[in-house]
Amino acid sequence: MTALILDNVDLRIGSESLFDPVSIVVPPGVVAVVSGPSGAGKSSLLAFISGTLPVALTSSGRLVYGDEELTELPAEVRGIGILFQDPMLFPHFNVRGNLLFGMRAGGSRRERRRRADAELDAVGLGGFGDRDPFTLSGGQKARVAILRVLLAEPRALLLDEPFTTLDNANRCKVREFVFSEIARRGLPAILVTHDSGDAAAATGPVIRLAPAEGSPR
Amino acid sequence: MLTVSLMPALAGLVAALVLGLDGGALQRVLATPGVGLSIGTSLWTGIAATVLSLLIAHFAVAAAFTGRWRTRLTALSLPLLTIPHLAIGIGLALVIAPSGLLMRLLSPGATGLERPPDWLLVQDPLGLSMIGGLVLKESCFLILILSVALAQVPATRLLQQARTLGYGPLQAWLSVVAPALQRQIRVPLAAVLVFGISNVEMAIPLGPDLPPTFSVLLWRWFTDPDAMIHAQAYTGSLLLLLINVLALVGFFTAGGAFRFFWRRESERGQRRRCEAPQRIGIGVGLTVGWVIGTLAIVALFLRAAAGAWPFPSVLPALQHGETLRDVLQSILPVARSVAGSTLLLATGTAFVTTLLILPAAEKAAHDTRLRGNIGALLFLPLLVPQMTFLFGVQVLLTRMGLDGTYAGVLWSHAIFALPYVWGIVASARSAIDPRYDAVSRTLGASTLKTYLQVSVPLLARTLLLAIALAFAVSVALYLPTLFVGAGRIATAATEAAAASGSGSSRLAAVHAMLLAAAPLAAFALAYGIAATLFRSRTGVPR
Repeated sequence: MTALILDNVDLRIGSESLFDPVSIVVPPGVVAVVSGPSGAGKSSLLAFISGTLPVALTSSGRLVYGDEELTELPAEVRGIGILFQDPMLFPHFNVRGNLLFGMRAGGSRRERRRRADAELDAVGLGGFGDRDPFTLSGGQKARVAILRVLLAEPRALLLDEPFTTLDNANRCKVREFVFSEIARRGLPAILVTHDSGDAAAATGPVIRLAPAEGSPR
Repeated sequence: MLTVSLMPALAGLVAALVLGLDGGALQRVLATPGVGLSIGTSLWTGIAATVLSLLIAHFAVAAAFTGRWRTRLTALSLPLLTIPHLAIGIGLALVIAPSGLLMRLLSPGATGLERPPDWLLVQDPLGLSMIGGLVLKESCFLILILSVALAQVPATRLLQQARTLGYGPLQAWLSVVAPALQRQIRVPLAAVLVFGISNVEMAIPLGPDLPPTFSVLLWRWFTDPDAMIHAQAYTGSLLLLLINVLALVGFFTAGGAFRFFWRRESERGQRRRCEAPQRIGIGVGLTVGWVIGTLAIVALFLRAAAGAWPFPSVLPALQHGETLRDVLQSILPVARSVAGSTLLLATGTAFVTTLLILPAAEKAAHDTRLRGNIGALLFLPLLVPQMTFLFGVQVLLTRMGLDGTYAGVLWSHAIFALPYVWGIVASARSAIDPRYDAVSRTLGASTLKTYLQVSVPLLARTLLLAIALAFAVSVALYLPTLFVGAGRIATAATEAAAASGSGSSRLAAVHAMLLAAAPLAAFALAYGIAATLFRSRTGVPR
C-alpha cells in the first residue's frame, strides 16, 4: 500500500513545455483525475508515467512509487498498468489467451486456464474464453481489457479515457467495477478524462493541465 | 493492365498443361537417374531458405523497431535487395569458395594456407551455399515487406500495451506485433517459397551438381536440341508446379501449427526482463550476414577487374606493364555487347508498367477493396513457378510471331514488374488526401489539369522509385528473357548465367557486375532526383 508521486514533471517538445510542471501525490486506492483541453498533453503525461514516452518528447522531474525511484526504469519493470480508450485486445489470441498473456507466470496450464475462466465468470462473461475478441461488444471488450491488466498485478493503474467509447448503461457499470477494484487492491490510479461524470465519480485530487506560459497553444 | 499480366500467364499455364500432359514424357522424367534427389534438393533448399529468411526478417525488424535502427535497417538492406539474385549468387561464390575472398582475408595469417584448400564449399551437395545465397536476398525482401506491412498494424500501441503488462520490448514485439504482421505478408511469403524451390538464378552459381536442383535439370532439358528431351521439360515443369503446390500447403499448415505453439508459449505469462543477450545475438548475426553480402558485391567488382589474381592476395594486382586503362579496355567490349539490350528492356519495362499502373491507381485511389483485389491478381503469376508458365508463354508468343522479339520479352518483363510497381504506386496514390483534388476542381481546374498539376507532382517521388524498381526487376529477369527471347536476345542476365554455368568466372563476374551496377545506379538516380524535388516543401509526401 504505497503512493504514486509525481514531482515537478515537465514534458517538452524541443524547448517548448507542454504544460506547467505537475506535482501530485496519489495515495493507494485513490483515483486522481487529469483534465485539460485536447492537445494539452494528458496522454503524454500518462506515457511518461508508464515509461512509453515517444523519443520526440523530453522530460524532467521525477516519478516515485513509495520510496522507489521509477523515472529511469523501462516500462516493463515499472509495474504500472494502463487501460487505453481502445481496449487493444490482441487480435491473434482468443479472449482467454488475452487474459493468459496478461496473467503473471506460474501454475500449470490447466490451473491458469481455470483461473482465467473464473475471472471471466465473475464479470458476466462466462463461456466467452474461446471467443474471437473481434466479435465482442464494446462493453465486453472493455471488461476483458480490465481483467487482463489486473491479472498482471500492477502496482498502479493509469486510465486513458477508457470509458468514453461505452454507452451510458455500460459506462457506469464498468467504471464502478474498475474503481472498486482499485479501492480493493489499494492501487494508486490516475484517470484522464473529458467527461464530468467520470471526473465526479473519482475520489482523488484533480489536476488541470494548463498550457505552459509562452506556449502558443 | 490485368489483361497484360494475367492473359499470358493463364494462357501459359493452359499451354503448359496441354503440352505437358504426356504419359511417355512423364515416365522418362521419372526414370531420369537422380531425379528424386533432384526434387528433394529443390524442396530442401527452398523451404530451408524461406524459413530462415522469415525468422531473420522478424528478428531484424523486432530488434530494429524496438531500438534505434528503425531507418537504418531498410537503408542497409537496400543494396542486397536491389541487386539481382544471379549477381549475388555469383558474388557469394567468389567470397566463400576455397580460393575466395574470405579465405584470402584469413590466409595465410590465420589458416597458414599458401594455396587454396580442396574443399567443396560452393555447390556443396547439401545445398548450404545456395541456401545462404537465397537467405541473403530473401531476408532483405521480407524485411522490406514487413516494414511496409507495419502501416497496417497499430504496432506502437500493441507494443505499449504488452510492455505495460510487463514484457520486454523484444519479447513484446515478437508476441503481439509479429503475429499481426505475419498475417499481412502471407502472399509475398508464398512467392518467396515458390521462388526458392523453383529458381535457377541461385542454383546455377551456387546450387549442387550431380544431380542439380530440379529446375536446373528442367532448364538443361529445355535448352537441349533433342525433341524427346524437350518434351520432358514441358512435363517436368508441370511436375514442378505440383511440387510447389504441395510445398505451399505443407508450409502454411506447418505455419499454423507453429502459430499455435507460439501462442501457447505466450500464454504461459513468462516475462523475460533482460533482453541484452538476445539483442546482441541478433545484432552480431545480422552484421555477419550483411558483411558477407557486401563482400559478395565487392568481390564481383574485384573479379571483373582482375586478370590474374593469385591466392592468397586479397586484392588483385596489376600485371607487369598493365594499367587500369587496360583493365577497363578488357571489360568494355564485353559490357558493351549486352548493355544496350539490357538497358533498352529495363527502360521499356519501367515506362510501360508505370503508364499502365497510373490510370488504374487513379481508379482505385479511394477503393481499398479494389486496390487489394488488383494487387492480389497481379501477384498471381509470381505464385506459379516461372518455368511452368513461361514454357506456355513462349508457345503463345511463337503463335503470335512475337517470340525472339523485344516486344515479346518486354511483355514478359512487365508481368513481373507490375505487382511491385502497383504495390507502391497504388498505396501512395490512396494516401494523398482526396480534398486536394476537390479543392483544385472547385477552383475551376479541369480533371486533367488537376491530375497533372496536383496529383502527379504529389506522387512524383513515389513514381521515381517505382520506375527504378521496375527497371531493377527487368534487369534481373533471366528465365523470361531466355525463353521468350528464344535465345536470340542477350542481356547481362542471360550472359551472366551462361558464363556462370560454363564455369568462366571472370566473364560471369563482368556480366554480374553490370547486373549489380544497373539497378544500383537506377536507385541512386531515383533517390537523387527525389531528394532535389520539392526540397523546400516539407508537406510533400516522401
